[in-house]
Amino acid sequence: MAETATPSRWLPRRPWEGVLADGHFGKADETGVTVQTREALGIATLITGEDSHAALDAAMYEHFRLSLPRTPMAVRSGSRQAVWSGPGQWLLVADSREGFRGDLAKLAGLAAVSDQSDGRAVLSLSGPRVRDLLAKGAMLDLHPAAFPVGTAASTSIAYLGVTLWRSADSPEGPVFEIMVARSMAGSFWSWLSASAAEFGYAVTSRRASSADRG
Amino acid sequence: MRITCPHCGARDAQEFTYLGAADPQRPDGMAATEAAMVDYVYLRDNPAGPHRELWYHGAGCHAWLVVTRDTRTHAIASVEPAKARKAGAAA
Repeated sequence: MAETATPSRWLPRRPWEGVLADGHFGKADETGVTVQTREALGIATLITGEDSHAALDAAMYEHFRLSLPRTPMAVRSGSRQAVWSGPGQWLLVADSREGFRGDLAKLAGLAAVSDQSDGRAVLSLSGPRVRDLLAKGAMLDLHPAAFPVGTAASTSIAYLGVTLWRSADSPEGPVFEIMVARSMAGSFWSWLSASAAEFGYAVTSRRASSADRG
Repeated sequence: MRITCPHCGARDAQEFTYLGAADPQRPDGMAATEAAMVDYVYLRDNPAGPHRELWYHGAGCHAWLVVTRDTRTHAIASVEPAKARKAGAAA
């Protein structure tokens, strides 16, 4: 029996596409956790020698008004964030990919710059039970006294490497941004969806326009 | 067991990978005697008490650390970046 030929087409695909669906899940009538996908971010790793990043510091401030943190912190200026990820290592995260390549070109020669925009998947987590959810996976003290707004951490959840940081609070409470390797998005979601079910959770994916797909 | 990474703070030992004793220094290969290489490659103390050892913070900052740990109690006396040890050895 002849097999139907599979059409060979390469199409851009968002990192959470086919992994999660919009809607309300888990415990009915309660929304303990709100999950929002972060689409079409510009993401890059910046790596320098631990003690040789003065030129990168200066360029980051000159071009983006970002002061690179020396400790596990995330700082934001306008539409861009710098997230500490190790000694002499940072993530540059831009809310949009528009102009992101130009941003990275400005850092050429100052650091090992690697565009990871299609290599990472990011969720924004909030809601009254968000800390209870994260406590099931992250071996970190996320109490507001120990993990105030702006704190960042690289750690593992369910044996998956994650980078998480606390961005500015929303009117509903704390907001955690959580980044995983895109190839692990499905595995991470299986942990998150199972762990959040008892609290009830709502998922919203913000649709990216085709122009943002970079 | 929790290890207080000098960069990341207190973390579960699951985030780290253990390598072994921190103090043996590789002899200069061509000049070293066979006995010195055997000692470096194979022979380790097995102390009941404080032990300086290398741990890699693979799930965090990706730094190598020198942890001084009591092998009887797992009490950790100090954690420092291995980089400092290497710089000290070269000086």
